Amino acid sequence: MHGEYKTPGGKLVRVDLEVRDDVLRDIVVSGDFFLYPEEALADITGSLDGLPVALSDDEIATRVAAAIPAGTEWLGSSPRALAIAVGRALRLEPEAGS
Amino acid sequence: MSDQGILAAIAGQEARWRAYDWRLIPGVPRAPLMNMALDEVLTLRVGSGERPPTIRIWGWSERCVVLGRFQSVKNEVDEAAARAHGVQLVRRISGGGAMFIEPEGAITYSIYAPEAMVWGMNFPESYAFFDAWVVEALRGLGVDARYGPLNDITSAGGKIGGAAQARRGGAVLHHTTMAYQMNVPLMLAVLRIGKEKLSDKGITSAEKRVGPLRQQTDLSRAAIIDLLVGAFRATYGLAEDIVTAAELAEAERLVQSRFGTREWIYFLP
Repeated sequence: MHGEYKTPGGKLVRVDLEVRDDVLRDIVVSGDFFLYPEEALADITGSLDGLPVALSDDEIATRVAAAIPAGTEWLGSSPRALAIAVGRALRLEPEAGS
Repeated sequence: MSDQGILAAIAGQEARWRAYDWRLIPGVPRAPLMNMALDEVLTLRVGSGERPPTIRIWGWSERCVVLGRFQSVKNEVDEAAARAHGVQLVRRISGGGAMFIEPEGAITYSIYAPEAMVWGMNFPESYAFFDAWVVEALRGLGVDARYGPLNDITSAGGKIGGAAQARRGGAVLHHTTMAYQMNVPLMLAVLRIGKEKLSDKGITSAEKRVGPLRQQTDLSRAAIIDLLVGAFRATYGLAEDIVTAAELAEAERLVQSRFGTREWIYFLP
């Protein structure tokens, strides 16, 4: 499954994932955003692993935000943007404009 | 912060450039993987004080796609098309978007600076700060260039280029690629540019987004590079330098151990 979301005036975040036993697995978060330090990508990706598919976008955004170490700078995207991308992947919503 | 707020925050900060003795590494064609590795090596050496703050002009020996640090290969590149057209795939150390590069089509440079140079600036301000001189220099060539947050150099005729930063070892790498002329059909064959990416641009094609310098000036690529370098030299000073043998050897080792490996290039498959 694949979802993406472009923050207006910002960058694109993409998520590829699978659902097994009603939880998110095999997560890949990617995009043309900036992230300092680079290693925080593993925290962001890991925060989605094992989440129940039934969570709302708000709940997903909260879990992602909580997993990002203090002092991390994520430019052009956000936990909220990633949660929207996850929601689009799960609901198989088309990307904007298609 | 608004665009005006960012520009106001960096106004009057030019003295920070003059605080250093800048070195210039002129552009010579290099393999894409060497260009990736040299950014790592030179950033660390400026951070450690082994090398003075430096600007490196890039030369390219072949076509390539340069992926951003956090981009996935399959989402960004049609690998079959890339292979068919002899387009190499490499990944850089900074974030941001994929660039399709042809040797004479792009103007790329890296700035390697001590992190102290951007002390007190937030990230958006530091992008604007490092881009300000080149925007000014382009305007001096008659190009209506502007800074566009977060990392664009743009114009009335479309986006000219983009910058990306990485930070490590007490240094900032700020590198910028500007389009000189574009082979749009080949770029569109190799890069996957989805509609979501253009969703907030009010336009429907990647082609309309870009304003290569060749469309905005009669100058050759080499002449533009000379004039940009000359503008920097006149304002802040710039001494000619080379990549040392030790730096080259270290970069070659990094190509073998990291940048040329499948683990790095397919970090996000």
